[in-house]
Amino acid sequence: MSEAVAQQAKEQEPEVDLSIADKVIDKYIDLPGNLMPVLQGVQDEYGYVPRKVADYVAERLNVYPSQIYGVLTFYAQFHLKPRGKFIIRVCVGTACHVSGAPRIVETFFDKLHIGHAETTPDLRYTFEKVACLGACGMAPLAMVNDDTFGKMTVQKVDEIIAEYNQRPMK
Amino acid sequence: MVNLTIDDKQVTAPKNSTIYDAARINGIKIPILCHDKKLKPFGACRMCLVEVEQMRGRQVPACTTPITEGMIIRTSTPDIIKARKMVLELLLLNHPIDCPVCDKGGDCDLQNLTYEYKVNANRFSDEKFHHAIDYSNPLIERDMNRCVLCGKCARICDEIVSFGALTFISRGIETKIGCEFEGSLNCEFCGSCVSVCPVGSLLARPFKFKARFWALTNQKSVCGYCGTGCNLTLGVKDNKVLTTVYDENQGFHNGQLCCRGRFGYQFINSDKRLTTPLVRKNGTLTEASWDEALELVAARLKGAGSSAAALATPRLTNEELVLFKRLMETAGSANYDHSAGYAHAALTEGFAKSFGAAASPATILDIQKSDLLLVIKTDSYETHPVIGFEINMAVKNKGVKLNILSDKRGKLSKLPDAQTLVHTPGSEVAVINALAKTILDDKLAAGTAAAIPGYADLEKALAGFTPEAVAGQSGLSSDAIKRLARDYAAAEKALILFPIGNAYPGHNADLASAVANLALLTGKLGTEGSGVLCMAEKNNSQGAVDMGFYATRGLNAGQIMDGCASGAVKTLFVAGENPVVSYPNRAAISAALDKVEFLVVSDLFMTETAAMADVVLPACSFAEKEGTFTSVDRRVQHIKPAIGKIGQSRTDFEIFGQLIAKLGGQAPATPATVFGEIAASTPGYAGMSYASLGETGAFAQVAVTAAFVVPRTVAVEPAAGKLALVTGSALYHNGTQSQFGEGPMYVCPEGYVELSRTDAARLKIQENDLLNVASAIGSTKLKARITPRMPEGVLFSPYHFGAAGVNQVWGGAPVTWVTVTK
Repeated sequence: MSEAVAQQAKEQEPEVDLSIADKVIDKYIDLPGNLMPVLQGVQDEYGYVPRKVADYVAERLNVYPSQIYGVLTFYAQFHLKPRGKFIIRVCVGTACHVSGAPRIVETFFDKLHIGHAETTPDLRYTFEKVACLGACGMAPLAMVNDDTFGKMTVQKVDEIIAEYNQRPMK
Repeated sequence: MVNLTIDDKQVTAPKNSTIYDAARINGIKIPILCHDKKLKPFGACRMCLVEVEQMRGRQVPACTTPITEGMIIRTSTPDIIKARKMVLELLLLNHPIDCPVCDKGGDCDLQNLTYEYKVNANRFSDEKFHHAIDYSNPLIERDMNRCVLCGKCARICDEIVSFGALTFISRGIETKIGCEFEGSLNCEFCGSCVSVCPVGSLLARPFKFKARFWALTNQKSVCGYCGTGCNLTLGVKDNKVLTTVYDENQGFHNGQLCCRGRFGYQFINSDKRLTTPLVRKNGTLTEASWDEALELVAARLKGAGSSAAALATPRLTNEELVLFKRLMETAGSANYDHSAGYAHAALTEGFAKSFGAAASPATILDIQKSDLLLVIKTDSYETHPVIGFEINMAVKNKGVKLNILSDKRGKLSKLPDAQTLVHTPGSEVAVINALAKTILDDKLAAGTAAAIPGYADLEKALAGFTPEAVAGQSGLSSDAIKRLARDYAAAEKALILFPIGNAYPGHNADLASAVANLALLTGKLGTEGSGVLCMAEKNNSQGAVDMGFYATRGLNAGQIMDGCASGAVKTLFVAGENPVVSYPNRAAISAALDKVEFLVVSDLFMTETAAMADVVLPACSFAEKEGTFTSVDRRVQHIKPAIGKIGQSRTDFEIFGQLIAKLGGQAPATPATVFGEIAASTPGYAGMSYASLGETGAFAQVAVTAAFVVPRTVAVEPAAGKLALVTGSALYHNGTQSQFGEGPMYVCPEGYVELSRTDAARLKIQENDLLNVASAIGSTKLKARITPRMPEGVLFSPYHFGAAGVNQVWGGAPVTWVTVTK
């Protein structure tokens, strides 16, 4: 029965602390059109939007769970799977492409053993190809969270990974 | 009215019409895929493009563009045809051409339009989608490869059903319709989405591969489940009802149905139907001829006098009930009743005293015309889902205020700005009295109120019901009570709704008097959008009351059961009722039926009650007979046979008629004759005939003679350490008959007990745990359902089920105190 399937799916999700979501929801509960800020808020807190949190937001805001899922899938900024502590973005826009971005991307793939929009099992890295980060003068360009690395080379990939491997996870 | 020109024709249309509406009412056809008259304009498919001269010949969608004075519109220029062809080409780019195996073939809007516009080639090419088909439930199949993204399913689920199971997922070319987290459907299964799907994306699985659409004979009928009186179109082939067919122009509800109406028809052609009379010989029921069975029954009834008694289900037609009454009178007995005796008291005692008529002075059509709705118990949605849809639409589209007074929350509580006052179980009459008291104290009563008989008595009786006094026992704040009273009094038009039925013992004459007092005090009666609507449970509950099929001179249902137990009643004729499951206190009912000397049961199925009978007579379903049903708002509707009788079954009309003849009486030949008699003798039915009922039925007028009646209140004393069990109806079921419908039994196959999260945590109960629920009269095992809607300390259980029935613990009290153990 479908209910049982849904129940099973819910149970397979890791436990999440809903009191964190409560804090975000409490902040916006009286605001008209509060769905987007709440979803952005919970994503900031959990790093992604876990299913249990989405269902909980639906219950507290009195919005259909399906509608929340519609919003979550409409916008690329929302993530439904856990993301890495460090988000590595490599630009594959025109300027970076001609300056060798594909090789940078390949190197990251090889070193991290993940592909585009994937996350390492230890949740340290998520890798993304992006189209233009708006700093073509520094091509080829990579970013790790908010840190920028211009004039990327294959050697620099090793240096970046070595450096961020040292960083604490918490 | 606005003047405009469509296709060189001068036409007029009402202000605020869209181009599409203006064309339609003037007989000009504009093709549509995503538009539905019940839904808000959406403008997704671009099939309805037309040219408007004032817009420099631009192509605009007819379904979303409002008309203006002097507009010149062309609906089928060569350019428009070309544009529509391209729309179809683009839709067919991804849509699989699997019409030969698609159940929608012949009834498919996309197929019909492709044919009409002769799209026989495609200038574009692309890959088809490869979405997995959802077969996860046996009622609704979802094949998103065929979807044209018209959004009708998601829109109807939101706008009318207010469940929101479906939505648009993702964006751009990847957009599809689905549920949250790509899961399977987990909804009310009303099938509204299936009914509006223009292609074969959403299909009714019970009907799959049964017949082509054009091979069906469509028979119009009236639903045989609840009292809403929804119109149905039955799709019939080879004397079998194979499906219900959606007709958006049918009934006040525009073809909208609930789970049992749309998916619960299988009981009609069920292979469990009784096909021959059965007579108990040497302790076992054995097949017999009609002559033999009827002779036995007639011999018992002849001259039986008051030792004979009858119980009928209010699913019988008005004509059958009249004849059943006549049969008992011929036998010399005035002992007849329906709906367990107490379930019609709100009408036959409450309204009869307060309004001078045992009927509701309001109709379902008032719901959307009101300013404020006061719904007693959220169960109004569960008992009468299509009335629930009307409430949804009133609140969401018309901005009608919704106030709910209930012992639990429910789907209605989730509607925008719905105010739900959750009171302790059994305190509803006291709370309503407190509302009346507030209205009196704040001088909000209408000027006419003081002149109504009983005013002084009521004023005196309400002295003790100050909001402060009632706040304590009801668990509500006095401010909330006052606010509700003031809102109700301030609304120009206000309508009160409450359900009654076999499992609502607290919804009795006193509750009816209490709400009637509210309406009379404030004068919210007798005008459009105002009044009180008492929603009786079964399809002809109001008819049974109108036909006088209840105890007036003789014993009522409860007394008949006592009579069976004491030996005073020796012959009991049960037509369609299943007291073993639906009456309170199963042990006592079973003992009484065991004791009675001679039990006759006419029914469609071998029910728990029929299994105890001495003679079982196979009866016909609503689809096999002729007659009239009266809905909760006294809409009298005519039904005609949609199929021939199953096996040797006979209609109850024939059974009663033949028995009357055997007793030496004169039985009327046809239901039409009896309806003539009903029209001549029943208040409000005057002048009605089959012809005057037509397809939409006619309302029997309710003449109100107002009086204030002081309702009795019974204090419900909490029992220490115990939980309060309230009974009621599950959304998917109605009475015990829906147990034989495939749809209802898939969605809700067995009894359960709902409890709050706090109680579940305290008692360490998990979802689906088998719980032992025990009261003073017995115990049963029910599965646990943990829901956020239940308040702490309150349990809810529906009553429809033969196995592990809640009437093993419930003895007829509004609140049963129970202990729950794992």
